[in-house]
Amino acid sequence: MSEDIAIRVRGLVTRFGKQTVHDGLDLDVRRGEIIGVVGPSGTGKSVLLREIVGLDPPTEGEISFPYHEAQGREPRLGVMFQDGALFSNLTVLENVEAPLREHTHLSAKLRSEIAGLKLSMAGLGPEAHFKKPSQISGGMRKRAAVARALSLDPELLFLDEPTAGLDPISAENFDRMTEELAHSLGLTVFLVTHDLDTLHAICDRVAVLYQGKVAAIGTIPEIVAGAEGWVKEYFSGPRGRAAVRATGG
Amino acid sequence: MAATAAFEFQDDAAAPVLALSGDWTVDTIAAQEAELRAIAERLKPGAVVDVGQLGRMDVAGAYLVDRTFRESAIGEERIAVRGQHDNAKQLLIAARKAAVEPAEKPHHEGGLNGFLDRVGRVMASIGEEIIQTVGFFGEALVVMARLITNPRRLRWTSIVHVMEAAGLNALPIVALLAFFIGMVVAYLGARILGDFGASVFTVELVVFSMLREFGVVITAVLLAGRTNSAFTAEIGAMKMRQEIDAMRVMGLDPMEALVVPRIIAMLIMTPILTFGAMMAGIFGGVLVAWGELGVSPQMFFARVSEVVPAQHFWVGMSKAPAFAIVLAVIGCRQGLAVGGDVGSLGRRVTSSVVQAIFMVILLDALFALWFLELDL
Repeated sequence: MSEDIAIRVRGLVTRFGKQTVHDGLDLDVRRGEIIGVVGPSGTGKSVLLREIVGLDPPTEGEISFPYHEAQGREPRLGVMFQDGALFSNLTVLENVEAPLREHTHLSAKLRSEIAGLKLSMAGLGPEAHFKKPSQISGGMRKRAAVARALSLDPELLFLDEPTAGLDPISAENFDRMTEELAHSLGLTVFLVTHDLDTLHAICDRVAVLYQGKVAAIGTIPEIVAGAEGWVKEYFSGPRGRAAVRATGG
Repeated sequence: MAATAAFEFQDDAAAPVLALSGDWTVDTIAAQEAELRAIAERLKPGAVVDVGQLGRMDVAGAYLVDRTFRESAIGEERIAVRGQHDNAKQLLIAARKAAVEPAEKPHHEGGLNGFLDRVGRVMASIGEEIIQTVGFFGEALVVMARLITNPRRLRWTSIVHVMEAAGLNALPIVALLAFFIGMVVAYLGARILGDFGASVFTVELVVFSMLREFGVVITAVLLAGRTNSAFTAEIGAMKMRQEIDAMRVMGLDPMEALVVPRIIAMLIMTPILTFGAMMAGIFGGVLVAWGELGVSPQMFFARVSEVVPAQHFWVGMSKAPAFAIVLAVIGCRQGLAVGGDVGSLGRRVTSSVVQAIFMVILLDALFALWFLELDL
């Protein structure tokens, strides 16, 4: 069923000098799913994301997009970086408009309307449109960053630590927004996170990176059932148990 | 590749049908905007969107269709969809749900009023800058005095580091520039004084100007461009990344840890660089005098020791520490004034360099008056 694989990673090796981050990593992301990538700090979650979107070249191995390549095209990617990475000298609306301005020939009016629509989908009202990124709160910046990632209607959405630094209520709202967007827009979401609540609440599958490989992949009950070592510790520690209880998992 | 977006509109029957075909995505819809507007007035309640022939659709495409319906006689009523499509119906619903009224752009005063408004703001901010810089200068002096009476608290590691990065590494470029200026001055002297048959005074011209003015001013202007901007950018980036805040909560005074070491390093290095600039400039003059006027180096230096008193050297050197303090203080103060965004970093680096060069030239003029009154 290679048509249903949105992202395929095979034999990925990443080395920085003598330090090996990925050591023959394989991963398949199915089309239309929300996959959560977890793992201890320093296991190269963000590096994996950067390699898939093409910012860093892997040392060895292959990254492909079988579903889209079968249709003879490259998938369109949207990325939300950890701190938002909004352009600080543009307003929020201009930030979302920026990709549209570069890549399409839409009229100025339609462009700003579409940007406004994307912001509203991400949960930001018109009152934020003309503010600079430094004038809005961290949570709003993350929403604006998602709106910008969505501005060209990507098929694959990459989120790097989307709920880090948000209060629990904002984080929950953000999770709900991600899920709603993913389902209504038919997105495939690749989500790097440490937030156990996010994993339980919205991820269809979870991939655990450990010692340079995918140590476990599947739904949370599947992973918990076969867990050992670090994976077990991660999901059955006090925080893991609490999150499992809360979602009835 | 993506198929172009197209539509066909039939309004002969009772219910008009808008049949979409091709791909309706953000890349393809630009051309359809005007054409859809043209048929908007012919849409009436009961109209149906046929998505049977539609290729790919995204939010932007759905939004355009949705907007056309909303702006027609149909208004906010839900769009009736006919035909089979993966996600068209879902997207139309999502686009309708999130549609917002475009916000009013904040008003900026234009014309003469706006111009006067801006001029007023700039003048007020200049006044504020002066007060703040003078205040910072005073604070830096107090901290420095405190540290000098208690020299164990001085951070020698960072002083030596700044001495190398901002001072020693600037020596080649300072010397090279001074060398060229020395040559230019010598050429001017040879040419103009030659007209009066006084070309031998070229020696005095080069040595006087290099010792009294050019050596120290070239050094200071170059440091303003090279070192001031570095100070401001370094400290500004630390400010943006909250490193300064982290120092403060640890009980480290940024004045003590960042500003004073830079001032002291500059105080030590600027006179050395100035000396290098003077020597390089005079060397340039020697070469030109030799080549153009046939004044050999021996004759050149014999004449120098005969007619140029040592006080000119000291006049030039005495300005170096003053420039050093001004440069370091302006660079550090602008760095600490950086706000949270990239734009303010750019503005602060610019003002740092501009203020530093301005102050160097202004101080030099004041020194000239002062030394004139003192008959030096």
